[in-house]
Amino acid sequence: MTVLEARREQTRARYPDEEGYVERDGVKVFYEVYGEREPTVLLLPTWSILHSRHWKMQIPYFARHFRVVAFDGRGNGKADRPSGIGAYTEHEFAADSLAVMDATGTETAVLVGLSCGALWGALLAANHSDRVLGGVFICPSVPLAPGHPERDVHSFEDRLDTEDGWAKYNRHYWLEHYEEFLEFFFGRMFTEPHSTKQIEDAVGWGLEIAPETLIESHEALELCGSERFSHVCARVRCPVLVLHGDEDALHPLARGAALAGATGGRLVTLEGSGHCPHVRDPVKVNLLIRDFVESVA
Amino acid sequence: MTVVAGERAEQTRARYPDSEGYVERDGVRVFYEVYGEGAPTVLFLPTWTIIHSRHWKLQLPYFARHARAITLDPRGNGRSDRPSDPRAYDETEFAADALAVLDATGTDRAVIVSLSRGAHRALLLAAEHPERVAGAVFIGPSLPFGSLDEPRAILKRFDEELDTDAGWAKYNRHYWLRDFTGFLEFFFSQCFSEPHSTKQIEDCVGWGLETDAETLVASEDGVGLDSRESAVETCARIRCPTLVIHGSDDRIRPADHGAELARLTGGTFVSFEGAGHLPHARYPVKVNLLIREFVESLA
Repeated sequence: MTVLEARREQTRARYPDEEGYVERDGVKVFYEVYGEREPTVLLLPTWSILHSRHWKMQIPYFARHFRVVAFDGRGNGKADRPSGIGAYTEHEFAADSLAVMDATGTETAVLVGLSCGALWGALLAANHSDRVLGGVFICPSVPLAPGHPERDVHSFEDRLDTEDGWAKYNRHYWLEHYEEFLEFFFGRMFTEPHSTKQIEDAVGWGLEIAPETLIESHEALELCGSERFSHVCARVRCPVLVLHGDEDALHPLARGAALAGATGGRLVTLEGSGHCPHVRDPVKVNLLIRDFVESVA
Repeated sequence: MTVVAGERAEQTRARYPDSEGYVERDGVRVFYEVYGEGAPTVLFLPTWTIIHSRHWKLQLPYFARHARAITLDPRGNGRSDRPSDPRAYDETEFAADALAVLDATGTDRAVIVSLSRGAHRALLLAAEHPERVAGAVFIGPSLPFGSLDEPRAILKRFDEELDTDAGWAKYNRHYWLRDFTGFLEFFFSQCFSEPHSTKQIEDCVGWGLETDAETLVASEDGVGLDSRESAVETCARIRCPTLVIHGSDDRIRPADHGAELARLTGGTFVSFEGAGHLPHARYPVKVNLLIREFVESLA
């Protein structure tokens, strides 16, 4: 009799060719390098609720066509978890990105960012235009257009008398029911049918950061107001591609459209997609990004 | 602005058949498809009428590249007719349909692959027409080996009006006629015991809805290898090599029934740890490689 195993430990389609840490002000972040063909695609970290494994459907593909650098943002994965709101501003993430580029000998790169990755991606492109060939922003969570109204009903800081829906996006709820929050949040992130595996993956990554740390990273993001960010966008000179799902339940399509408008970029609307089209429709998204990378290289 | 259409367009296929057609026996038309033109031919038999040949969708494009693949829809579903007489669903009829498709497609000899209840017709075909069957692969075979244990013992009361709809009590003629979709959803959630199977369940429920409760009841009343003795006797007449693949977490038929089929036919048994009743739908790469190795070992 032969015995086959259906389920095994998670493996990777491709392993990094090089990995390491960069340290800034005592905070270490972890990076990986795959492939070697120019240009370099720098996969930016997103909000610390996830780490770089959310790019797992991009890395093996782009590594065959380009050089890929990915890193875990502070707060999750193999990066440090500093305390204090000041450690999680868009300036810190942009500075980490630049430090990773320096450490890996990456003179220029095409940036690819998910959600709030657009905050530090745009900042990096504005302040270091000589290092950035282009920017791809997937479902950007940028304060250039109003968010979904249902997310504005409840206070994040106050103790609420309900736990329904977006009332779970609340400091007290996170501290007391963190895993339930993650399940709710990623359920809204993956609104496409048949996303149970993607939700399970994301909840697992979300559990790698403590709710106390996630609260600080949330509060840091809140500091980036629309006026400040508009000025950043006005200084972006490189080509920009924005991909946004028209069923994104975390950040509406209007935000992606506004970012494309503010940076003179191109918007591609992905019909039926939620907040992570690169995870649920990787082939389509990879082809769009590859076309863009080849057009700016 | 560019708009890229969503995934939820009409389902397309990785590969379309190179030819298709119908065979007709006693006024009942059965639909078949042929893919590729290599050798040998692998015939993917229909399983229970609750689904049709699309459940082989992850096998057909692969075997079309490495062999010649043929499949047919069972009487009662897909593009085949839906006779109302239960006699039309005897296992000998399904075996005769398969033979008619081999004739119609000019196929002298084939490796046959069956799922679940398809094991009955596969055994009959291999026993009665050994010259046409080069080998037989059985996935999660459903044969009368051993008694039904709890909670499936209630299946013996298929014809009775029950006072419950809970769990396997849904496997009941009256419940099917009352809430066919409810039965399909329950049944396929049991078939796919692996996590992250929502797409496979949705597909199967959709295929189930292409037939109806009355037709499925008629198919249930068809005669097969319904006793242990008849199954054992038929197994004893099998001369071709056999391969049995059975998931260890099969909630429809326990894996030791598959092991017994392998023993009775002198075949190879592969236990698929952690897999449910349709491992070819959930772990297509592994199952395809196993079948391919078996097919090539016969050449």
